[in-house]
Amino acid sequence: MVEFELEGTEQYALESYQWLLERILIDMGITNMIERVKFVIRPDQTLFIISLKVKQAGGKRPVHDIAEMEQQEGGTFITIKDESYAPRLLASLWRLYGRERVQQLTRLEIFVEGVPVRELEDLKLDPEEGVRSQLLDAMWRLLPEGLKIRNEYFNDNVMTIVATEHGMTVDFIAEAQKVHTSMIKGEED
Amino acid sequence: MYEVLMFDGGVHKVDELLDLIEDVGGFVLQRTQVQVMITLTIAIPAEDRPLIEKKTAELGGKIVEVPLAGTEIAVIGPTLGRHHMPHPICDIAEHLRRYGAITIVMGLARGRGRKTCQISAAEKAIIEEYDAAIFMLGNFKECVTHEKIDLYKDIQIPVVTVVGPELESLPHCEALVCGVGRKVERMRRSEEIAKLEEIADRVKEVIDKRRQEIEEDPLFVHPSEVKDALDDMEAVQVCLRPAPVVLHVDGLRVKIPYKKHLHELEELEVYGRKLKDIAVISDCRLGDSTIIKIKTKAEVEGKVRG
Repeated sequence: MVEFELEGTEQYALESYQWLLERILIDMGITNMIERVKFVIRPDQTLFIISLKVKQAGGKRPVHDIAEMEQQEGGTFITIKDESYAPRLLASLWRLYGRERVQQLTRLEIFVEGVPVRELEDLKLDPEEGVRSQLLDAMWRLLPEGLKIRNEYFNDNVMTIVATEHGMTVDFIAEAQKVHTSMIKGEED
Repeated sequence: MYEVLMFDGGVHKVDELLDLIEDVGGFVLQRTQVQVMITLTIAIPAEDRPLIEKKTAELGGKIVEVPLAGTEIAVIGPTLGRHHMPHPICDIAEHLRRYGAITIVMGLARGRGRKTCQISAAEKAIIEEYDAAIFMLGNFKECVTHEKIDLYKDIQIPVVTVVGPELESLPHCEALVCGVGRKVERMRRSEEIAKLEEIADRVKEVIDKRRQEIEEDPLFVHPSEVKDALDDMEAVQVCLRPAPVVLHVDGLRVKIPYKKHLHELEELEVYGRKLKDIAVISDCRLGDSTIIKIKTKAEVEGKVRG
């Protein structure tokens, strides 16, 4: 369940944008990737800030975190535990060792020929480049079309966009950075 | 006074109904036949309605009220941006069609934004060719009440405004419906359909008022009578565009090029008079069509006397 935090001058606008984002996320099938959302909407100042926090702990994930590996004769046998990483793991293995040496036995079982376990243990999977672009797409769909002046802030887990119509002011930027930092801090608590 | 109704029934003996409509001096505005079922949008003198109803019952069909038949309505949003799809304005336009209106959906070129929203003179002129306009203005109260109302301020036709937040009233518009803002999916929940009904009701009221105003100074002929004459024109018969002749409350839109057919249209005979004497024929702002505004009885007869 996504946690929403709403701040602004118009209750209807806040509630309707929360509802819109929920529908967009359901539509794109990425509701479970988001942990928290904060909106700051002040139509009188033409200010719109949205900040999203991604659920998955960020950074690169080592392979042993998402799969079990077993040394076998002639290679390594991998059993994937976290299904959502399966396509990315397979793609990385193909890229590193070529398609001839990586066999996908079943949906969640992979055999890599001629590669020892310790070599694979060092492999890390890049976090969600795809997810990030999907989130950006969701935010882009949500943002009011007229607010063309936009600034973005992001780190591994939090993405914040501040949008306005005429000119970005120092106050808007400061407020967006404050929201962004508070969302990052939220994850440490 | 003509009344527009829709007959819904089978094709068996429908010729008898068509003959009756002709006998009472009525017209068929639209005929849609799907296999053995047929729907006819008809305009008949109001006093002859019982005759038509009797015949319909005899044929096993039914008469449906289409209060917005004979009108063309523009549904306008500040933007048709792809990322706003699906638009509630499409749902509104679709819903009004169920009441017989012909609707178009229009997005403004620079209508989005708060302080930056604008409407051009050309856009206003296009909108004013319709019988009524519905403006959909969005979710932000501040933005709607301070800036967006300027979009329709000078428009000369009745305007129904649809907004998200609850408002008491808005200036410059004939009717206001609150609670329909941006959507990312079709309006299909019961409360949303109730809102669509509410919008249709407001539009009906606005159109009824317009019709009453016209009745005070009645038109020389009903637009459907001109349509009947236009239907005999070769250019209209070979026109492949959907609904080549569209009725308005006080005139018609004929989807044939103005420049090419002006003379022919001017010379068209309606009840022994030339069309140019009983109507103002002008070029349409939008795509090779012609707008015909029928003059009032007073205008036509006054001119003859003079």
